[in-house]
Amino acid sequence: MSDWSIKDLEEWDDRIIELAKTHDLDWFPISYEICDYYAMIGNMAYHGMPLHYRHWSYGKSFERTHQMYNLGAEGLPYELIINSDPSIAYLMRENPFYLQLLIMCHCVGHSDFFKNNLTFAKTRPENVIQRFKNAKKRIDSYIEDPSIGIEKVERVLDCAHALSMNISPSCKDYVPHQSRRKDLIKRIKSGDASVKDRNPDIFPIEDEIDILAFVGEMALNLEDWERDIIEIVRQESMYFMPQIRTKIMNEGWASFWHYRLMHNLDLPQKYHIPFLKSHNQVVRPHLGRINPYHLGFYLFNKIEERYGLEECFIAREVCHDESFLRQYLTKEDCYELNLFSYSLYKRDYVINEVSDDDGWKEVKSSLIKQVGSNSIPKIIIKELKPNNVLRIHHEHDGRDLELGYAEKVVDYITTLWGGVVRLDTVIEHEPFEI
Amino acid sequence: MSTFKENKNVSDRSGSDRQRHKEKIDKAIKEGIHDIVADESIIGQDGKKKIKIPVKGIKEYRFVYGDNENKKNVGSAEGQDIHRGQKVGQRGKGSPAKPNKAGNEKGEEYYEVEITLDELSAYLFDHFKLPNMEKKKFKNISSKSFKRSGYRNEGIRPRLDKKETIKKKIKRKKKAIKNSTYDPENEERFGFHHDDLRYRFIKEKKKPTSNAAIFFIMDVSGSMTKQKKFLARSFFFLLYHFIRSKYENTEHCFISHDTSAAEVNEDDFFAKGSTGGTLVSTGLDKCLDVIDTRYHPDTWNIYTFQCSDGDNWPEDNDGAVKSARRLASLSQFFGYCEIEPREGRGAWLQMSTLSEIFGPLVKDNFKIAEIRNKDDVWLAFQRFFGGFNE
Repeated sequence: MSDWSIKDLEEWDDRIIELAKTHDLDWFPISYEICDYYAMIGNMAYHGMPLHYRHWSYGKSFERTHQMYNLGAEGLPYELIINSDPSIAYLMRENPFYLQLLIMCHCVGHSDFFKNNLTFAKTRPENVIQRFKNAKKRIDSYIEDPSIGIEKVERVLDCAHALSMNISPSCKDYVPHQSRRKDLIKRIKSGDASVKDRNPDIFPIEDEIDILAFVGEMALNLEDWERDIIEIVRQESMYFMPQIRTKIMNEGWASFWHYRLMHNLDLPQKYHIPFLKSHNQVVRPHLGRINPYHLGFYLFNKIEERYGLEECFIAREVCHDESFLRQYLTKEDCYELNLFSYSLYKRDYVINEVSDDDGWKEVKSSLIKQVGSNSIPKIIIKELKPNNVLRIHHEHDGRDLELGYAEKVVDYITTLWGGVVRLDTVIEHEPFEI
Repeated sequence: MSTFKENKNVSDRSGSDRQRHKEKIDKAIKEGIHDIVADESIIGQDGKKKIKIPVKGIKEYRFVYGDNENKKNVGSAEGQDIHRGQKVGQRGKGSPAKPNKAGNEKGEEYYEVEITLDELSAYLFDHFKLPNMEKKKFKNISSKSFKRSGYRNEGIRPRLDKKETIKKKIKRKKKAIKNSTYDPENEERFGFHHDDLRYRFIKEKKKPTSNAAIFFIMDVSGSMTKQKKFLARSFFFLLYHFIRSKYENTEHCFISHDTSAAEVNEDDFFAKGSTGGTLVSTGLDKCLDVIDTRYHPDTWNIYTFQCSDGDNWPEDNDGAVKSARRLASLSQFFGYCEIEPREGRGAWLQMSTLSEIFGPLVKDNFKIAEIRNKDDVWLAFQRFFGGFNE
């Protein structure tokens, strides 16, 4: 039996909106959908998108969440909101009233972040729902096409998903190498000295990090529908990449604001303790891990303390996790959070560095290496050799690739590319080629 | 102003993707199931009991960093006392950090699939059969099969055939229209009638096959260590379930021996240990005895399986070969498994292992397999029953 009605939610929503506006928050209108836990898990599997193309991996994702939920190992996340205009957010029917209010405040924070953070500038939230719907329609049509069918569609999706993180982290527009080639020829002809030694017939014209786009453009034997699927996956990745790059900030900002708004809402006394309990649950540190809610909430509070609220608004506009930590995480913070780095040594995980005078910088730089797109290995297309041999290169930064996985992904690229693909990397300090 | 919408949609949006995922897992189970057949948790269970088996998840591969010395993870330890060089976890037991949600870290995923041993047997033994089965005089064994055979008005719910049922209803409706008893204003009232229900009928077909007696001979002497006995039992357990799931009413005879042999019951066979020396011939002779008294080869298909670590008292070797030869001539199939033979041991002790002295007997219906570890149990099984196309 729930202790709230939609009318209650609407009433309190008015108060939240009024309050948030006085704090200069500026967000998309939010469209809340109330659903049960089962539908919630379903929505989560598809990243909250009301419509999404089908693939078995989303079924897997559902099963996993469902299994964990049933085992009680993990509560469902309190909130699920997507970067669209209006923002779509989900409220679980089973939630008690105070929790719905907390989520609504939290969502205002997220939506404000989506709308104002520069990392999201190119995500086009006004028509994202339509774009996903359209992508689903196209993939459905390929699945239903008797000359294609689900097996073939899945094969291309499997390959493209394996490469979905290998796009430009800053979501730069892809300029086709064929047009770069024309450009280069022009410059050579015009006598541009800086390019006089360049050969315009060697691809890629410049090193390329956007593997999906390059394969989509340059692979010889792909059919139109295959190129379309690759582009659909790539577009989706470009849309989600800003969220990967701002996880700590985004959750921190939303928590910072739900805490503040909830405090100033004049909540009935009986809701106050449960609200604080839930809040503490969400922003608690996870031993041996980084809880983005915790770190983000902590840092925004520190920024306000040190430089004033205005600075928080600046950070929310111009930073992503990497620059956020680089700029604002101090020695004192590392010490207070007791951050440490560890790695696998033989069969044990052993602490390498702790946050003392000597160690904190090292710990901070390791932390920065694991956030946002830094957690994705940089793989670059170096050279298209004769006989359609594609040479790709892993930009080694001290961390080795997981070989078993890399081999599989190279197989996937080979499938799409339709020719030999060679990856060079470094394993245990020795050059290594797959 | 926000909007609130009650989602009353009951459609299960991930249904078809879950179905595809399940199909992939099913395929993985079929392909990888032999990995788990020698698992401790399975051995010794009865067929109806549900067991949980871990099935490796279908992985989604990406470029990820490996978990090793040069990949530093950062975590917080508020309020904890920590220092450099401190151990904070162990490989396999999980690092302090769980695999990242973004899918950029590797993580082994397992699904627990609940399955009964009988179902497991069905997966496992799909393509296997007892070799050289012949029709003998009396026919009291049967192999069962189920076949669809038309429709009935009565049946259990899962066999309700919706299409046939609706056809029946449409027919009835057509008839009603023809007889002008149908009231188009009142469509709702033309519901399903009990007589519309059609159930698929499944007929059990008993196919008489020849009689079979299966002999399980196990060396339980002192040299059979706990581990060796475990491997032998794994093999026999698999064998036992294979036969039980595929052939009805076969006779089983369990013989365990050290320097003397005895026919034992199933529970003792799978549970009991013993110490002492080894006279392999005693086990084989006991088996011959039982055949002579109870299972005449004219009426019975005889299958003999023996597990031993290959150690035998040298003075018994001649007798063992003699008995084995006779047994092989009476049996449709004789399978000998040698458990954990140690390389070269025979040479320096100037002793031959059984597999060496049995070597000359090998032919179509006499096979030898070696079992060194859990994985070999399944290989031995394939060698004996997986058709004869090695």
